Amino acid sequence: MTRRIVIEELARVEGHGGIQVDMEGDAVASVHFDVFEGARLLETLLNGRHYLDVAPTISRICAICSTAHLVTSLKTTEAAFGVQVSEQTEVLRELLFRGENIESHALHLFLLAAPDYLGYPSAPAMAREFPEIVKLGLELKQLGNRVQEVIGGRAIHPTTPVLGGFAALPDSAQLIELRDRVARALERVPELLEFVGQLPPEHGCSAETVFAALAPEQYGYSRTADVTFKGQQRTEGFEPSDYRTFTNEMVVAHSNARHSLFENAPFLVGALARLTVNEALLDADALAVLERVKLLLPSGDPLDNNKAQAVELVLDLQWCLVTLERLLSEGLRPEAPAFIVPRAGTATVITEAPRGLLVHSYSYNEDYRIASADVITPTAMNAASIERHFQLGVAQSPDKTDAVLTRRLEMIARAYDPCISCSVHLVRLNDNAG
Amino acid sequence: MTKPRVGIFGLTGCAGDQLVILNCEDELLQLVELLDIRSFMMASSDSDESCELDIALVEGAVVTEHDEKVLRAVRERSGLLVALGTCAAWGGVAGVKPLRSYVAVDAVITGCPIEKEEFLSAIANLLNGQLPVAAAYPVCAECKMRENECLLLARGAFCCGPVTAAGCAARCPSVGVACIGCRGPARDANFAGARALYTQLGFPDNDIQTRLNSFAAGVA
Repeated sequence: MTRRIVIEELARVEGHGGIQVDMEGDAVASVHFDVFEGARLLETLLNGRHYLDVAPTISRICAICSTAHLVTSLKTTEAAFGVQVSEQTEVLRELLFRGENIESHALHLFLLAAPDYLGYPSAPAMAREFPEIVKLGLELKQLGNRVQEVIGGRAIHPTTPVLGGFAALPDSAQLIELRDRVARALERVPELLEFVGQLPPEHGCSAETVFAALAPEQYGYSRTADVTFKGQQRTEGFEPSDYRTFTNEMVVAHSNARHSLFENAPFLVGALARLTVNEALLDADALAVLERVKLLLPSGDPLDNNKAQAVELVLDLQWCLVTLERLLSEGLRPEAPAFIVPRAGTATVITEAPRGLLVHSYSYNEDYRIASADVITPTAMNAASIERHFQLGVAQSPDKTDAVLTRRLEMIARAYDPCISCSVHLVRLNDNAG
Repeated sequence: MTKPRVGIFGLTGCAGDQLVILNCEDELLQLVELLDIRSFMMASSDSDESCELDIALVEGAVVTEHDEKVLRAVRERSGLLVALGTCAAWGGVAGVKPLRSYVAVDAVITGCPIEKEEFLSAIANLLNGQLPVAAAYPVCAECKMRENECLLLARGAFCCGPVTAAGCAARCPSVGVACIGCRGPARDANFAGARALYTQLGFPDNDIQTRLNSFAAGVA
């Protein structure tokens, strides 16, 4: 007997996507993660654009990760032109990424994912019974935005980050305010960990999973590093310029998003992948945080990405506090952005956006205009992994009624925190744009 | 006072304007009390996709047939339709057509993204039975009020302030970054005059054309 489970439009995610699973009896016949967000074609819009226009245009791919897109774009153009930025700029950019990560994770964990665990349709509905938890989520989310406002001038599409550095710097009063708010938020970490640690146990699926993340010298999101793939059997590193070898993006008929495969197998990017790849960088305090939220690495359950986000929230708050203290004691140097001498060139930069690896790759011609641009987003890389986990989630579910399967599929999808607008940045039917 | 029934919708776009609504952290739980939010897919899974609405806030642009179908259905069931953000108001960075080329649009809150304060005051207007009012002047007016040095005339930067709708308090020029026109054109923008000025300052025609149309294709 054939039956079809359809989730026409997935709620509590960014963008428009649906899920369709065909069952033959209790066996899964096919699984589709349908992305019907319209194609955005933003890379094509960059062709021929002046180098100054590139970052503010391409960052419009996404709002939730606009900081990651903006800064990654600036870094890519700087790399193509051979521009070095100051250490202060690197630190402030990392602060921006941390702020974005805090905002994005708090929004996802508390307002989008948590209602599933507790049986509510939305955060406001959950707030009637758990007002303190929803308020804590909102406070953390607001703090993440505040970091981006103070350092970047605006939470969505920051204004001060420019080629070579920052057009304007925060004053010490703003940094003090920020430090105090981070310190207050850190006092609430036990509440956060208790909430996440005590969420009812849920299971998405268990799967042998390949994880991919930047492997920097210190845990972080914005500094240049190689990408590490960590599977069951082996670990392999790639330089950013080799990105095409692991993101053989392919167009799939049912989706406007491009799928990525590593040696023909799906891989997972995002908070869970970052912690798994960089486990050796975690100190005793960080490992204690993992224990509090009952996260065991490596984990083959995509729902553990929710716990991984909780861990990163704590790591990011701690990093922000230490960094703001240091900036306040040393003082911010008033410095102009590094001088830009444009030239023809090609560069690829990979960073960690909240949802995982983000690739920007540009070629500039002799007129300092874009000859070709390629952007690969984390949700596009995750798309194949999401479908695989849908399939396993259904196959492994002891109860195969529609209601149970639907809930499980939605929870797996949300655990990936998919950013669907990002994933549909371009549909390329044949690979002729390079 | 009966609460207005409100739907918040996103067509193709970056969802940044819906995110601005979610970024009203201090006001969010209050907003939920003042408005009867029936549909907000990005935030809730108990959206009612068929009931009548007093106000529809629509972000994004029409890129797919599905988008157009959704937009027409929302128009059908809503008393007022408000275009939220530059994509809805002007077609945005993807260079597509604004919502008003498909359906009647009653009011516009522009911006990429929209400004939180403008959004909240528009909601206050709507709660009082009035349509939100947009500034009739360009970014330059707000920039002058903030006594900023003119980036265009004093520093030779390509600033879109003279032709861009105000309402952002000259956010970018105030931190020394030229306006890129993300809010779409100001009412009665003098594009001919602006073009002559950019040409006089030595900018090539293709850059002038691209930059004036970056967020609102075909306006200049």
